[in-house]
This record gives sequence, structure tokens and C-alpha cells, in this order.
Amino acid sequence: METFNTLLIIFVSAALINNFVLHYFVGICPFLGVSRRIDTAFGMGLAVTFVMSIASFLSWFFTYYILRPEAPVPALVAGWLGMQEGRTIDLSVLSYIVYIFVIASSVQFVEMYVRKFFPPLYKSFGVFLPLITTNCAILFACLEILKHLQDPTKLWGLHHALVLAIGGGLGFTLAISLMAGIREELDICDVPRPLRGAGVALIVAGILAMAFMGFTGVSKGLEDALSGPRASAVAQPADIDLLDIPQPE
Amino acid sequence: MTEEAKSGSYLGQAWLVIILAILYGAALAAVQIGWSDRIETNKRNKIYDRIPNLVGSEAIVVEERLVTGKDGREKTVYRVADTEGSLIAWVLRAEGQGFADNIELLVSVDPLFTTIKGMSVISQKETPGLGDHITSPERFTGQFAGITALKPLTVVKETASAPHEIQAVTGATISSESVTTIINRAIDNFKQPVLQSERERETT
Amino acid sequence: MADSGPTAGERFINGILPENPVYRQLLGMCPVLAVTNGLMPAMTMAGATTFVLVCANVITSLIRNLLKPHLRILVFTLTIATFVTVADRFLAAFMPEMSDALGPYVPLIIVNCIIISRCEICSSKQGLGTSIADGFGMGLGFTVALLSIAVVREVLGSGSVFGYELMSEGMWPRWGVMVLPPGAFLTFGLLLGAAEWFGMKRRERALGEA
Repeated sequence: METFNTLLIIFVSAALINNFVLHYFVGICPFLGVSRRIDTAFGMGLAVTFVMSIASFLSWFFTYYILRPEAPVPALVAGWLGMQEGRTIDLSVLSYIVYIFVIASSVQFVEMYVRKFFPPLYKSFGVFLPLITTNCAILFACLEILKHLQDPTKLWGLHHALVLAIGGGLGFTLAISLMAGIREELDICDVPRPLRGAGVALIVAGILAMAFMGFTGVSKGLEDALSGPRASAVAQPADIDLLDIPQPE
Repeated sequence: MTEEAKSGSYLGQAWLVIILAILYGAALAAVQIGWSDRIETNKRNKIYDRIPNLVGSEAIVVEERLVTGKDGREKTVYRVADTEGSLIAWVLRAEGQGFADNIELLVSVDPLFTTIKGMSVISQKETPGLGDHITSPERFTGQFAGITALKPLTVVKETASAPHEIQAVTGATISSESVTTIINRAIDNFKQPVLQSERERETT
Repeated sequence: MADSGPTAGERFINGILPENPVYRQLLGMCPVLAVTNGLMPAMTMAGATTFVLVCANVITSLIRNLLKPHLRILVFTLTIATFVTVADRFLAAFMPEMSDALGPYVPLIIVNCIIISRCEICSSKQGLGTSIADGFGMGLGFTVALLSIAVVREVLGSGSVFGYELMSEGMWPRWGVMVLPPGAFLTFGLLLGAAEWFGMKRRERALGEA
């Protein structure tokens, strides 16, 4: 149950509260570039979600087994090389290079696979796939996973990583679709000339970001609601007598 | 095309990439060897620099101890002793959900977990101008020095009257409550395991 | 290969205003919005980006005649990722506070389109001197853009400049929203509009004179 609660909070947090675009500003390029029409925006959003899940899946494996400071594979190799007991090879310096290649190659493979086996799907979002390699939202998701794998006391499992990626991707889809809906309406508005194009889009994004700020605090409320009974149990005065230690007045 | 010629042409095309990869690998290894100690020290100092302030004494010896909390997770607890070696405080590192994002903090308690000696927020992303005052000693963190650790802390909006009450930051009750919840949980989670570990250490 | 295209001086000047990567080309938007809540992080970010930009330009320019066209993006990415890692480690080792404040945005320089577009447009075609000038010019343009946004956000949002208090809280009620995400979008949107407006005025005047 607790796992489910954590996952729900990660999901809501990534999708709404700390929305990748409107809170962390990652994936701004497609957010401004591909948000002219709702259907293309939606396709882009789904493509990002898809690639983000795959890239997160792969980078979790790489990070967990190879790149993090306590990873098992380098420790094994260090053993073979006859290094001192307890010493290991810290490969975390390679993380960024590994991630960018994981992303680039997963985009390539997804594109080939989808084109061959799911032509209708390819028709709907295949054109966006090559653009996604330089989408910082994907790299950002990988970096978030790295952050949570560096500290051994709060190690993320694969399920956490996947929920983050799907939540983040859906949050991106939501933001870009909302933006496209507004921009379709903006086309018939009389926008001051200097602001046309990117200027007004950014201002609209600012208002959207302000609206999304309304979600701040939801995760706290959600956590309190989900762990309600447990929290009140915590609130009992702790029993110091159990340990029969003299209690100073 | 024969197999040999094919591999030759692959090499012909990729030699630059391979050489660059080796060069970059060497450069990164040099960076890692040269700076990793410094980076580790910086990470450590983020906590160690705050400890003298938290326990109210400069002349201290800090020992890290791995303790398994009541929730079954292992965490580092900092045992702070004076220069003669007698225990003066425990420093716990705790984190939890704040209003906007995770809040991470250090809380120090006396050896028997009866009073809190101080609190310091390591990282937070609360609302600027409101919730971020939880880091300010004048407005918030100062109240924690000398408050009881026997009863869970509660947040009040007016001036605190009972020994376990903390006055909320104006306009940021939820942020303030998050902090007290994190502290209550950490103390509840580590009180018995830490005392137990110390007693075991003394008997052996 | 003979140098073709703009000279070193032109490249340098172009980077700063006429072809400003942020205001004119709308590249590298992610750090522009994310790290401009204060002048200090903006300055650090600009420094790190310029470092990576110049280094990547130098390497690309040196190996430009050996590059196989279909492998060039791979080589660019490898180069950029390496230098970003160096910059990231440097910040973590010598400026730990800034490294914490910038968080994931330092590694995100890898996917900053400014750098790869400069490798593609300039340094893979032109000589070392021009590439270095281009790197510094573009870097300076990026710095100017980041600082222009950061100064507005920091003064209005926290009443300070580079962390030094300019106006006390009684004199200037902090506009908290300016340091939050919406402030970034609004400030940059309005500044972009202002830049566009000045550009339009200048073009009109030039037309009138001609």
C-alpha cells in the first residue's frame, strides 16, 4: 500500500504539480514550436511520453547496475581486476554521455520499429520522433532518475522510474495540448504586432504556469490523506520508559 | 563486398570516433581522479558545516553511525561528542513532503532525546516570500532550540504557549506543519534504535 | 578548405546582437527560463555554456576535414557531452552552492540547441580563429540575454542584485511571482516583444530614410 501511495505521489507530482514544461521549463522548444494545432500537439505529446518511458527504462538499468557509485557491475569488475576489498570503480562521471546515447538510440529504434510494425501509429506521430532526440524533457527524466539512484538510502526501483516517465510525459501532453487549444483561438485575435508568434505564446504559457501553480500543495494534501491513520499513530508520545533510561525533569 | 573489406570500411569510417572516444574517456578519467575528492568533501561539508551551529558548540567530534530506523530503513545518524569524548547530541537527517516540494533538514537532539537543540533546513523549494521563511532563524528555525522532544511538535498560528508548540510562519502554515511533521517522524523513527545502539556500544 | 562565409570579427559581432541566439533565434530556451531567477545562477550558467560552446567549436573546427558527414552529429554530441561533464564536475568541485542551485540544468546544456547549431553552421565549415570568435560571440550574446532577463526577475522578485539587497522589504514589496515559473514566461515574453518592437522601429526608420 505504501508503495502505491509513493507511486501515486510521484505520478501526480510529475504530471501536474511540478509539470515538466510549466515548472521545470524542459521541452520548451516543441512546446512553442509544435503547438499550433491540437492534433499535432497531441501526437507530439504521445511520442514524447512513449520515448520517455523507453529511455527511462533503459537508463534506470544502466544507472542501477553500472553507473551509480554503489553499482554491482563495477564492483564485480574491480574484484576481477584484483582491486582492494571494498574499493570500486565509480563510473558516475560517464552518466551524461550514456544517457544522451541511450536517448538517441532509443529514438532511432522506436522509429524503425513503429514504422515497420505499426504504420498507422507511425503516421500519427512518427514525424515527431527525430525531433525528440534534442528534447530536453527526456534527458531531464533520466537525470531525475539518476538523482534518486545516487543516494542509497532512498533508492528508486524500476517502477518509480517508469511512473515518473509516464507521469512526466502525460503532463507534457496535457500542457502542450492546452497550449495548442489556446493558440488556435489566438489566431483569430488581434495581437499587438511585436508580440505575435513567440511573444504571446510565452505570455500565455506564463498564465498557464500560474494556473498550474494552483496544484502546489496537492502532493502534501494527498500524502496526508493517504497516510492519515499512520500519521496520527506517529503523533503518540514516544515511550521512553521502554528503554528504562532515567528521564531528567 | 567481402567480410574483410566491409570491416575495413567500418574502421575507415569510425576511426575518428573511436580515437575521440578514447581521448574523451581519458579526459573524463582525469577529471574524476582530480576532482572527486573535492566533490565528496563538498557534499560532506553541506552537513558538517551546520552541525556546530545546531549543537551550539564549536569543539566537537562527529561520528557517523548507520542506524536502522523503526521503518526498517538504514540511515546515517551523526553522533556529536565534545573533545573529551562524552556525547552531547545526536543529529538526524530527515526529509519529507513540503508544500511545494521535498524539504530536507537536520535536527539535533540531546543524548536522551528529551529536548531538541536546533534545526536547520538543508534544501527546500517553498514559495518565495512566504514558505521559504522556514529557513530563517529569526522567523522560524530559532524556535526549535530548547523545545521538548518528548511530545510531538504542533504548529499554532498565534504565539506559542506550550513547550511543544511552534509558531507558524505567517502565511505558510502548511510549510511550517510539514517541517514539524518531518521532525516528529524522524524523532519517532530513530529515538529507540539510536538509544539502543548507544547502549549496545556502552555495554561492549 | 578555404574559409568561406563571415570573418571572425563578423561572427563575433553577429553573435552578440544581430543574431542573438536567444532573442533572434529562440534557441536554448530551457536555461533562459529556468535559471534566470537570480543574476548569480544566470551568470554561472552563461559561463558554463560559453565554455562548452567554445570548446566544442574548437574541437569541431580542428577535426572538420576528417569528419564523415553522416557521423558528424554523433561526434558533436560526444564532444558536447564530454565538455558538459567537465563543466558539471568543475561546478560541483569549486562552486558547490551554484552547482546545487543549477541542479539538472547544467547537464541539460548537452541538449541546448545553441551549441549543436553553432557546430553545424559555423565551426564544421570554418577555421579555428573564426570558430573561437563565433563561440565567444554567441556565448556573449547568450550571457547578455540571460542577464537581461535575470536582472528584471531578481530586482522585481527579491529586490536585490547579485544577492545584495537593493531595496528593503518595506520599500519594495517582493513580487514573489517573478522568481516563480510564471514570472520567467511573462518576463521573457514581454522582453521578446520589446526587442521585436525596437527591431521594427529601426527597420521602419531605415525604410523611411531610404
